[in-house]
Formats: sequence, structure tokens, C-alpha cells
Amino acid sequence: MPPGITFGDFYNILPELVLTAGSLVVLIADVLLPRRSGGWLAWITLIVIGATLASLVPFRETRVEVANGLIAVDQFALFFKVVFLGAAALTVLMSVRYLEIEGASPGEYYFLILCATLGMMIMAGGIDLITIFIGLETMAVSFYILAGFIKPNQRSNEAAVKYFLLGAFSLGILLYGMSLMYGLSGTTNLRVMAMTFAGQESDPRLILAVMLVAAGVGFKIAAVPFHMWAPDVYEGAPTPITAFLSVGSTAASFAMLLRIFLEGLPSMKPEWRVLFEGLAIVTMTVGNLAALTQSNLKRMLAYSSIAHAGYVLIGVVAGTPRGVAAMLIYVLVYAFMQLGAFIVIVLMRRQDIVGDELKDFSGLHVRHPFAAFAMLMFMLSLGGIPPTAGFMGKFWLFGAAIDAGYVWLAVIGVLNSAISLYYYIRIVVFMYVKKETAGSEPTMSPALGIALAVAVIATIALGVYPRLLFELAEASARTLGAAAITTAIR
Amino acid sequence: MNHLLSFILFTPLVGALILLLVNSRNEDAIRWIANLVAFVGFVISIPLWFLYNPQNADFQFVERATWIPSIGAEYFLGVDGFSTLLILLTTLSAWTAITERVKEFYIFLLVLQTGMLGAFMSLDFLLFFLFWEVMLVPMYFLIGIWGSDNRLYSAIKFFLYTLVGSVVMLLGILALYFHNHTVSGVYSFDVTLFHKLNLPYNLQWWIFLAFFLGFAIKVPMFPFHTWLPDAHTDAPTAGSVILAAVLLKMGTYGFIRFSLPILPDASRQFVPMIVVLSIIGIVYGALVALAQKDWKRLVAYSSVSHMALVMLGMFALNPVGITGSIFQQLNHGISTGALFLIVGIVYERRHTREISEYGGLSKVMPVYAAVFLIMTLSSIGLPALNGFIGEFLILQGIFVVSKVWAAFAASGVVLGAAYMLYLYQRTMFGKIENPKNERLLDLSHREFATFAPLLVLAVWMGLYPAPFLRRLDSSVQHVIARVSPEYIQKNAAADCAAPAPALAATPTDATVAANGAAAFLATLPCGPDGRPLAASTGPGTTSGTGADIPPSASAGQTGRPGEPR
Amino acid sequence: MVPVGACLGLSAVLFGIGLIGFLSRRNIILMLVSVEIMLNAVNVSLAGFSRQLQDQRGQVLALFVIAVAAAEAAVGLGLVLALSRNRPGVNVEDLTQLKW
Repeated sequence: MPPGITFGDFYNILPELVLTAGSLVVLIADVLLPRRSGGWLAWITLIVIGATLASLVPFRETRVEVANGLIAVDQFALFFKVVFLGAAALTVLMSVRYLEIEGASPGEYYFLILCATLGMMIMAGGIDLITIFIGLETMAVSFYILAGFIKPNQRSNEAAVKYFLLGAFSLGILLYGMSLMYGLSGTTNLRVMAMTFAGQESDPRLILAVMLVAAGVGFKIAAVPFHMWAPDVYEGAPTPITAFLSVGSTAASFAMLLRIFLEGLPSMKPEWRVLFEGLAIVTMTVGNLAALTQSNLKRMLAYSSIAHAGYVLIGVVAGTPRGVAAMLIYVLVYAFMQLGAFIVIVLMRRQDIVGDELKDFSGLHVRHPFAAFAMLMFMLSLGGIPPTAGFMGKFWLFGAAIDAGYVWLAVIGVLNSAISLYYYIRIVVFMYVKKETAGSEPTMSPALGIALAVAVIATIALGVYPRLLFELAEASARTLGAAAITTAIR
Repeated sequence: MNHLLSFILFTPLVGALILLLVNSRNEDAIRWIANLVAFVGFVISIPLWFLYNPQNADFQFVERATWIPSIGAEYFLGVDGFSTLLILLTTLSAWTAITERVKEFYIFLLVLQTGMLGAFMSLDFLLFFLFWEVMLVPMYFLIGIWGSDNRLYSAIKFFLYTLVGSVVMLLGILALYFHNHTVSGVYSFDVTLFHKLNLPYNLQWWIFLAFFLGFAIKVPMFPFHTWLPDAHTDAPTAGSVILAAVLLKMGTYGFIRFSLPILPDASRQFVPMIVVLSIIGIVYGALVALAQKDWKRLVAYSSVSHMALVMLGMFALNPVGITGSIFQQLNHGISTGALFLIVGIVYERRHTREISEYGGLSKVMPVYAAVFLIMTLSSIGLPALNGFIGEFLILQGIFVVSKVWAAFAASGVVLGAAYMLYLYQRTMFGKIENPKNERLLDLSHREFATFAPLLVLAVWMGLYPAPFLRRLDSSVQHVIARVSPEYIQKNAAADCAAPAPALAATPTDATVAANGAAAFLATLPCGPDGRPLAASTGPGTTSGTGADIPPSASAGQTGRPGEPR
Repeated sequence: MVPVGACLGLSAVLFGIGLIGFLSRRNIILMLVSVEIMLNAVNVSLAGFSRQLQDQRGQVLALFVIAVAAAEAAVGLGLVLALSRNRPGVNVEDLTQLKW
């Protein structure tokens, strides 16, 4: 065993430590503050998130392995951490009102959101099977509870149970694959593993391990055919949690996927490429076709997020630094537009109306022009129409595919995004063209307003002037590839 | 005036943002602002006409700034003669199309205008694509919210058709981009750079197909035209006008700006396919138009026929044909735009588009009938009006290539006269049989003012097209240098004599001879033994071979001209 | 000493039992048990590999798996409890509020 952990290691995981401490502060504050102070807790949570973001600043240039290769602190992880924290912040902002309406206790809720974020951060940094596993479970268990957080609501219960069952099942599959990987390489460190695996590509046990791990990750990113939990969970879970789940959990799973396959199994690239190619095609197509017929918005967004996972998989198939950069761009862009869409759904939530049916959006344009405009932007962005951020994301994903020689994958991708426009536009039709019905009056609160404005501005700004995003993503993606190369030399 | 193009481009957008802030109940203010913005947009585009230098073969008014440096995308604007004229057409039609509507209508219209202008100005392929796609959404809304009965269906059809075409085109752009990088080591979307690329044939073939899908749907060419009649019929008048006058030109603009010069070999290879599709389009569009009972649908199908003629002229791939093709695009914008305005006026008064509901309108609406007559004649290509010049040049260009094609094209022109005159006869002449038509109001002053610029243009372009043709000169040179040197050498000796008698036989001989197209005829090389065309001193015999064109044209393609910033 | 092959064989059999059990059972509790069997299969194989490789990391991972499995079971049972409070029955066929 290599020697123990040093003080420097603790410094390098400062953001994680800050977040952990902060989450405990939230939990204690919940006990100390008088009841009905959900707003205060939300602000404390936001401060914790802000502090964590601030503690990321010293690590802009850092590229080290912590604790003998348990966690990597690099720009790749940093990029994802920013996405997770941003998503968490928006989720908290949209939760304040929602929790009041549902009458749920806010303390544990915010605590669990922070825990889930912590898990995601560990997943993005993990370069060892052990850390990845722990990060994954920290996130997943938090989400199981959050999905069922509205205890009196049967739909919420049901969503949680379904998510839990399939999540645990997928964990079993993933772990079995991981145990095979460990047995065949003799190490749990992905970078060391990459070297041991070089040259034994044809080992059937290794191929089995790759397939099991891919299936396990497939569940987490809701790739078809492992997607069946997603629509139910998305529909039943509390809306802010659905939003966070679809953005944070998916992003973290993609980070994990890239770490495992690009850092741990680069020599198996031809094998897993084929696998993900098939997954990408099926996922995009099935997700989009299924979304066409949905009348519940959360369900529709669930299928749409399945389709989006398919698009992002294109970047994995490309497997080049450009592909990874495109994935990073897409993940960030997707966070804003998807969260934005859910913010609008939360706006529609009233005491008696869930506000996630398509008809609830009839004539929203008249009732609340800004919400309608925001939703329009999110839908266009999800559909990949310029000048929104979604276009830039898709554009570069397809570009990466063409660059890597996967032209027909790109063709399927663009045709799918044309199909997807059909159901995104349907929402727009309801908002702008359909006559106003006795729907719910959107209820704006300051927190929601801030969240919505941030999401809209980001969606447009990143579409018009994505320069910084592209540069950051490319720099971050390069650290992932470079790390694998340096290890190979060592 | 370094930023003239940016001013033209963003004036409508700024107007839209201002409108966004105005209370939607304040209808007067909204109408005033919208009209003012559209008018200002037109006025500030006028300097383009005067400041554009036809002698200079480079792109002019160039503006360049970094946009996404890590992938080589730039904010890169510039115009040549062709895009100058299309920009003017855009600002003009946006100005005339503004009618009294609600706030959102204006906003969408102005955003649409920005999209169109941007597409015509962009010399960065990614920027072009951005503007190209931006147009979709406001147009969707214009049709979907303010259209007639079947509007949602028509709107989504328009949207999805165009979208499918353009996303496939995007892949073509990307393929081009990455190929450019492997060849030159530079990441760039610079169109002027692409104009100099010599792509392997195989790649050209695929990229051409991708571009073809995008542009042909927009034109629309024959098998992809089905969205157009629906969209036109259900769109509100302003939408139809913009659609006919400008949006369809996006497709043909794309062919001339991108497909032909970037992919010359593939373009030549695809000539037979495009010619066949165009001929089908010409005849089919005309025949269907002849059978229409719906006024607006008739005009829509006439659009299909006319645009097919434009495509045919373009893919004659000789200077005359392409000049004619561009000129005819302008004509089509003016005359068809005007025809949609004309339908719109009676539709506003009667709320029906059935031709059988009308008849004898010339009795109650004499001014209206006169305007309609001029536009009809312009549309069918009567001499002294603009349509004639375009159709003549196109036919001439095709005739040089193939007499059979020319015969088909001419039949389309004849059919065009048939359906337009038949329409005119049914609606304007005869007795007023429908009592509802008895008290229709003639054109108001405001309405007439809308038509006035179009009428002036129709007559001006018909009688004295030289300023227009002169401006097209360098654009056509550009394209021909890339796409046709071979063609010229091969066919010149055989065919160059043919157009001469046709030219001599026309009554507007002098007009044509004086204009730029005639100059092109002169440069159309005939080889040492060929007879020179027209009565020009042309450089034909000595330096007029295909080989001499590239230098002049490549000067035009340098793309980084030393324009003052 | 038990050969490694036997450990791996046992692990594979357990994993198969768990997999089939999860897919065929319709009682939520039994599905949970099946998942636990799968996780234990993982533990057996990790322990076996660890022994074969003379490397403790596998055992460390196995310990973590045991701990996490316990946490998961606790959360899972809690969720089932919440569900059955609102409505009797612990079969997945009863979960019909959302389209399965």
C-alpha cells in the first residue's frame, strides 16, 4: 500500500469539504431556526453553494491526483463541478415556493440537495472505482429520498420506489462490471488500469465487464433500453427535483462515463464505440418518437431528456478531445435550458393545479408574457434553433461526429433534432396560439424570477456569444485526454 | 460608413426590442414605431445602392470581428452586387409589408427582417446559418398566429420542411469546414476562403447534395415544393409578401453564393438532375396554377413555376443565364410580392380568396385594376416591364446550352401568360355578378403608396436595367470563373453564334446591348473561329477564353480586402 | 483453500439468481432482496479477486459496497413504507398512478 494521505490532499479537496460542512450547517440551522423559515434555509443553502464555488477558484489551474489517485483535481472535474453547483443553485431558487405549496419540510430537502451535489462532484473527480462508486451512491441515495419527498403524494411515493428499484438494480450491474474490471487489472485506479488493459482487448471477460459497466451507466443517463424509469420518475417526483435529476444526475453520470471509458478503458475504444454508437442512435430516436405523443409536460421533457442523452452520447462515440469538449458544452447548455423549462413548470404550480399538463399552458402568452417568452426560448434551445445556446451545443456535437468520421451518426442526429422540434413547437403553439382557458395564473416570486432570468439570459447569451464557453470546454476536455496520455507514458 | 451593414442589420432588431418595451395597448405608438423602424431600415440601406462600386470585384462594406475564435467563426459581413440588390429588396418589402397589426406581429416581422438581412450579408458560413435559421421562428409565428383557416398545419409544415433541409445543410457546412482544416490547417468558416478550395470530387458530390436539400426546399424546387402553396395560402398578407419576395430568394441565393462557387465540379455534374426538376417545376407549377380556384394559391403556384425558371437559368451555368436568373429573382420579388399585396387587399375587404366570388372588379376598383394589370404583365414578362428582361436573359442562357430545354422553358412562359391573364379576366372583367362586390372601395392613398415603389421599380427595371445588371457583373464573374471555364471552352465554338440573331430580333435590342449582360455576351469566348456576339469590341477573340477569367475573379475572391475599417 | 474459480463461479451464480429474481418477482420487498443478492455476488467476486491478486483494494471496495447496500436497504424500505401508508399493497402492479 502506498503511504497515507497528506495535508495537501485535504487542501485539494477543499471545495468538497466546504460543501460537506455547509450541508451540515443547513441541517443544524433547520433545527435552530424557528419553524416556517424555509426562505432562510434556502438563502443559507445558496450561500453554501456560493462558498463552494468560491473555493473552486484557487483550483483553476490545478491538475493533481489526490490521495494516491483516488480523486483527480483537474479542469475537466472543475467544469462539471461548476455545472453541478449552478444547477443546484437554480434548483434551490425554484424550490422555495414549491416547498411552501407542498408543505414539505425544507431542512432535509436542502441538505439532501447539497449531498447529491457533493456526490456529483466526487463522481466528476473520481479516477478510482471506489471513489466513483461512493460518489454515485451519495448522489443516488439522496435522489431516492428527494424523489419521494412529498410523502402524502402517491405519485411522488411511486416515483421514488420505481427510481429506487431500478437504481439499485443498475448499481448491482455496474458493480459487477467494476468487480470484473478490478479482477482483470488488479487495480481500482482507472489510470493504472488503462495501462494494464493495453494489449488484452480480446479478453471476453473484459468485454463482458465493459458491457456491464456500460449498461449500468446507461441506466443512470437513461439511455434506451435502460430508460423506462425516467418518464415515471420525472412525472412523479417534485418538479424541482425532476429538474435537478435530469440535469445534475445525467451530467454527473456522463462525467463518470467519460472517466471510466476514456481514462480507464482507452484501449477498448473500438469495442465500446460500437456499443455507444448503437445506444446513441436508439436513444435519440426512441426518446424523440416517444416524446411526440406526450401530453404531460414533465413526461415529455423526460423523453426529451432521453433524446438529449442520445445526442450527448454522440460525443462519446467520437471519443476525441473535440467530442469531449462538445459534450461539456452541451451539458452546460442543457443545464440552463432544461432547468429553465422546469422553472416555468414550477411557475404554473398552484394549490390545486400541478400545472404540468400541456393544456395548462394555453394562452400563457396573454397571462404572463415573460414566462411564455422564456419557455419559447427554452423550447427553441432544446430543439437546437439559433440563436439559442442549444444550437451551439448541437452544432458542435455533430461537428465532432463528422470530424471523427461518423457522418451518418450526425445525419441521424440532425434528423432527430428536426423531429424533436415538432413537440417543442407544440408547447409554443399552446402558449401563443391557443385561446386562453381557465388555467392557473402563474405565480412569480423573487427567487423564481431570478432563476428564470438567469436561465433565459444564459440560454440566449451562450447562443449569441459562446466564445468563453467554447474555450473553457476545450481546455477542460484537453485535461481529460492529456491525463490518459501522461499516465500511459509513466 | 464602416459599419453600414451592421446598422442595416440591427436596425430592425433594435426596433423589435423597443417595441417589446412598449405597452401593447398603446396601439398608435406601436404602429408608429414599427413603421418608422421599417422606413428607417429602408432609408439607411439606400446608401448601399450609391456607394457600391461595380468596378470593384471584391466584397464591399466588409466588417470583420472575432466571434468564436477557438473554432474560427467570425462576425464577417460583406456584400457584392447580388446581395446588395437582395438587401434593398428585403428592406423595401419589409417596409411595404408593414400593415396595421398588433405589437407581436411587428416584433416578429422585424426579427424576420434581421434574419433575412443577416443571411444575405454573412460571409461566415456559421453566421449565415445562424441567420438562416433565425428566420424560421418568426415566420412560423406569422403564419401560425395570424394566418387563415389551416394556419397551424401550414406553419408546422413550413417549419419542419425548411428545418430538415437546413440541418442537413449544416452537416455539409461542417464537412466543408473540417475538410478545409485538413487541407489548410486553419479552422475557418470564411466563405471567401471556401471559394478558393478545390475539393475532391467525391466530397463535393456529398456536400452538394446536403446543400441542395437545404436550398432546394427553400426555393422550392419541384419535389420539395409542397409546403409553399400551404404556407402562402394561409399566411397573412405581410407574411406572403415577405415569403415570396425575399424568403424564397434565400434558396437561390444559397445556390449562387455557396453551391456553385464552392462545389463547381459537383454543380456541373448535377446539371441534368436540376434541369429536369426545374422543367417539371415550370410546367407543373403553371398547369396547377391554371387549375386553381383560390386566388392566393394560384399566385403561390405561379411562384413555384417562376422559381423553377430561375433555377433553370442558373444551371445553364453561363454568364447570361446566371445574370438572367438573378435578375429574374428580383423581378419575382417585386411582381409576386405585389400580387400577394393585391390579393391581400380584396381579401381584407371580402374575406374570401375564391376567384369565383369576384368578377368585374375593374368597374368598382379602377385604380386597383390598373395596378393589378401592370403587375400581371410584369409577371408574365411583357416587354418594357421588368419580367421581360429576366425571362429573356434566362431563355437566352438556356438556349445556348440546349434548344430543347429552352423550348420547355418557353412553354412555361406561355403557360404563365395563360394563367395570369385568365385570372385577370375572371376577377377584373365582365359584369359584377356578386352583389357583395358592388360597393368595394378602391385603393386608398395609403395602399397606393405601398404599390408606388413597386410600380416604379417594375417600369425602371424593364426600361433601363443597366444599373442593375452592372451591379451584378462582379457577382456573376465570381461564379462563372469557378463553375464554367470548361463549359465555355467546350461549347463556345458550337453555340456562340446562336444567340446573336435572337438578340438582334428583339425590339429592345438597344437596351439589352447597352447593359451588362451584353458585355457578358462579349466576354463569352467563341474561340478564334467563332463569330463575336453582338456589336461589341469585346475582348472575345484575344483574351476572352475561359482561362482569362480566373485572374480577375480570383482578385474578387481574395476575401480579405483592404477595406478601411 | 477455496480456489478463486469457485469464488467467481459462486459469484456468477448469485448474480444470476439476483438478476432473474429481480426481473421475475413482482413484490417490491422481494425485488429489494434480489438486488441485495446481486450486491452480495459483487462482494464475493471482489473478495475472491482480492485474494487472488493479494491486493486489499478489492476488500475495501467490498466493505464500501456492504455499507452502501445497508444504506440503500434502509432508504428503500423507508420509501416502501411511505408508499404503503398511502395505499395498501407492495406489488409493482399496484404502482399505477404513473404509467409504468
